[in-house]
Amino acid sequence: MSQQLDTRGTSTSDTSGSVVDESGNGPFSYQDLARLDEALTMSSRETGLRFTVYIGELAADTRAAAEELHARSGGDTANSVLVALSPGQRVLEIVTGATAARRLPDRACALAVLSMTSRLGSGDLVGAIVNGLRQMSDAAGHPSRRTH
Amino acid sequence: MSVIETVLIYGVIPLVVFLLFAAVTILPGRGQQRTKYRPGQPWTAAPVWWEPHPDTSAGASHGSDHGDDHAAPRLGATAAALAIGQRPHEPHAADAPRRTAAGGARGTW
Repeated sequence: MSQQLDTRGTSTSDTSGSVVDESGNGPFSYQDLARLDEALTMSSRETGLRFTVYIGELAADTRAAAEELHARSGGDTANSVLVALSPGQRVLEIVTGATAARRLPDRACALAVLSMTSRLGSGDLVGAIVNGLRQMSDAAGHPSRRTH
Repeated sequence: MSVIETVLIYGVIPLVVFLLFAAVTILPGRGQQRTKYRPGQPWTAAPVWWEPHPDTSAGASHGSDHGDDHAAPRLGATAAALAIGQRPHEPHAADAPRRTAAGGARGTW
């Protein structure tokens, strides 16, 4: 479990520009980072989909900006799910790739968005992300029980 | 029983017990401050993009075939030295990022 607490050194060439030094006094405490990291890793490992979380400003057309981020996310983009939040603009976007969309239909995404926005409205960023990831990974299920 | 003994038994001992329980209750929550965000506030932090750790366990069947269909067709001999999620820079991919999104949802708060 100790390797899951170290979030540095796992970035791809595409995402390394977004990696920040987490030892500094960023907006997230160490406990929050550990929770986020565990939720991200566990939901990705359980479902076989590749969940990534982006927190920061998006361009004015938030949907297009999120889709562009998804296209640039590297790795297997068809199998990846991007959760992009912009706390300044108060917008949450979930983007699924072609393969991921079959496992995780838009209705399941909308349900996750609904529960996430209700938590985000009370200022609970980390809780929203952790619960959204859990809900989406529950909806996507386990890859070995599926035939694809 | 002298006055000092009375004060010690009925004053100091209850006080010590009270302070002990207060310390045990309050102290564990002190170190962890919550993420500072209130809806409506501007977000000044630098953008971050987190991704999951690469699946290194041998039992995960998906992780292995994911690595295979990645490394085999496009990459040359350098592929062996790269991690699963990693790939060498491909200039044409950066020039024309095609649309990869197939679905999703959006929400505001």
